[in-house]
Amino acid sequence: MEQILATTLRSAAPLVLVATAGVFAFRAGIFHLGLEGLMITGAFTTVAVGEATGSVELGILAAIGVCMALSAVYWWVIGPLGANVIIAGLGLTSVGLGGTAFALGAIFDRRGSMFTDVVLPRPVSGTTSGPGVIVSEHSILVWITPLIVLAAWIVLRRSRFGLRMTAAGEYPFAARTAGVNPSIVRLQALLIAGGLCALGGAELSVGALHNFTENMTNGRGFIAFVAVIFGAWHPIGAAFAGLFFGFADAIGIQSQINITERVPREFVLMIPFVLTIFAVWLGGLWRRRSLEAEAGYAELREPDY
Amino acid sequence: MTGSLQRVASTLLLVGVSFLLTTLILWASGYRVSEVFSGVIEGSLTATGAATSSIRWAIPLLLIGLGVVIGFRAGFFNIGGQGQFYVGACCALVVSLGWRDGPAPLVVLCGTAAAIMAGSAWSLLPGYLRVRFGTDEVLTTLMMNFIGALVLQYLTAGPMRNPSGTGQTAASERIPEAFRITDGSGVSATALLLVGGVAVLVWLLLERTRFGLTIVLVGRNPTMARWQGIDVRRVGLVTFALSGALAGLAGAVELYGPGARLVTGFSPEVGFTAVVVALVGLLSVWGTAAAAIFFGGLQSAILFLPIVTDLPPPALVLLHGMVALLVTVKFRSVRWRRPGSPAEALTA
Repeated sequence: MEQILATTLRSAAPLVLVATAGVFAFRAGIFHLGLEGLMITGAFTTVAVGEATGSVELGILAAIGVCMALSAVYWWVIGPLGANVIIAGLGLTSVGLGGTAFALGAIFDRRGSMFTDVVLPRPVSGTTSGPGVIVSEHSILVWITPLIVLAAWIVLRRSRFGLRMTAAGEYPFAARTAGVNPSIVRLQALLIAGGLCALGGAELSVGALHNFTENMTNGRGFIAFVAVIFGAWHPIGAAFAGLFFGFADAIGIQSQINITERVPREFVLMIPFVLTIFAVWLGGLWRRRSLEAEAGYAELREPDY
Repeated sequence: MTGSLQRVASTLLLVGVSFLLTTLILWASGYRVSEVFSGVIEGSLTATGAATSSIRWAIPLLLIGLGVVIGFRAGFFNIGGQGQFYVGACCALVVSLGWRDGPAPLVVLCGTAAAIMAGSAWSLLPGYLRVRFGTDEVLTTLMMNFIGALVLQYLTAGPMRNPSGTGQTAASERIPEAFRITDGSGVSATALLLVGGVAVLVWLLLERTRFGLTIVLVGRNPTMARWQGIDVRRVGLVTFALSGALAGLAGAVELYGPGARLVTGFSPEVGFTAVVVALVGLLSVWGTAAAAIFFGGLQSAILFLPIVTDLPPPALVLLHGMVALLVTVKFRSVRWRRPGSPAEALTA
């Protein structure tokens, strides 16, 4: 049981970080499907720069920088250039997945994966039994994730900036009348989201593991996005949804060890995705109660051709 | 007419820009651009069997891409082509291996029908949730992709596994040679006739029937379509089923054609590439066909390139991502100043 809880925290941390990123994007009215691409870019850049400089802090800073730059490009494409949010978002994901796999070969001459010694510090470690296992062996990022969620909540609920962001997302016209430029607000939201995705990716590669692997995010960016919807685009709600998906993941990993004899592994691995469909379904029912949000949501989902 | 010409020109320009950016990345990584280009030409056209191989890779892209066209025209972002493709192939495999001593034409027919039905079912679940509950289809179809990939993995690693198979990736047993419609090259008169026939049928449906017009109306303005007495939910379900059916059919063609067996995680990018193909083809049937041949050629070239320039497959994923990122850019919406009218501001 302690092991499951520990694995839950470890699986949930990157999800929660990226879900918080998704909350910022969603509040600003962006249906951000590029989270997966930003996440893997963050994971790769941390390892790459960390290996080159020997410093994990520099690696994370570089990852934040690269992800913010990519987010700015995404903003430019969907904002001023008027590209479709969903297609461009999926494109960003492909650029991230393909680009990192390509760079792994081009820069480090590796195929598939790459080990690294540069890892995040782990404040508590070495505990092997008892309740202490739950908090043991977690990277520093897992510890500060709750603080980041709390900060996101305060920014969104209490700061002028956060309220403007929600306004710009829900009703851009009204926001503009009030002297707020929705386009700039969206850029700010996307930059914050990019930074958070970088942290989520870094936790994956140098926090929980010691390596970067091609396609190591494996759909986590999308699951994080679902956590946003499931959590009613509220940072705390999204964080709990992320925890829940982390728990499902932990159960999956655990049962993979224990019950593979009876249940094929693939069916266990399906659980998060099936749960996700349920979550989108229920979250969608929930969402429809909020008509104001619907307006902003629908505006960005217009098909165009 | 000038409008559509403009769209073609701007799309070509955007695809060109994506290529330029990717080429720049390749150049910066130390690849010699001229070698890559001659390698692409060689690998997609001039080398022995390259042109055939281009067509072979274009076939699944075209079939799945046509499904994407139908869905997008109706305003549904059905991006679950990958999963529908996989379950289609899986069902055809189960039928073919389960009834391996049956009469070949009958088994292939049943297998293809099973693939089509499986593909539609895989698409109808998100479709039903969409039209009945308003559940976002982008996310559900994405999740169905992951589940479909696991179904394939289960079949190839479990009940259908080839016990004598070696290597890291699990693969199913081979289907009997009599069931195949092409040889290993993946191109034959039967396959071409089938795919060409399907393309013509889709064209007739979209451009020459009342239903084709209805879909576009529903896609452009569902509210108005409803006021005109169109059953928007029914149209939605039919378009979802058709998209899925085409992707499922692509799975069957893959199995009975070049594959002959299924390998865990084969063609992992084809679903997304088909979306890119449909968008580059401007959601028209013949545009999609042209784009499918073009991207099929690139795919074929990547298979030849390791010999010529050592270019890895992720470069192609990167290119597809670049194209997707840019292809929907609308030139006319570039605004350097603040928009003037309130209506403009609302959509800015």
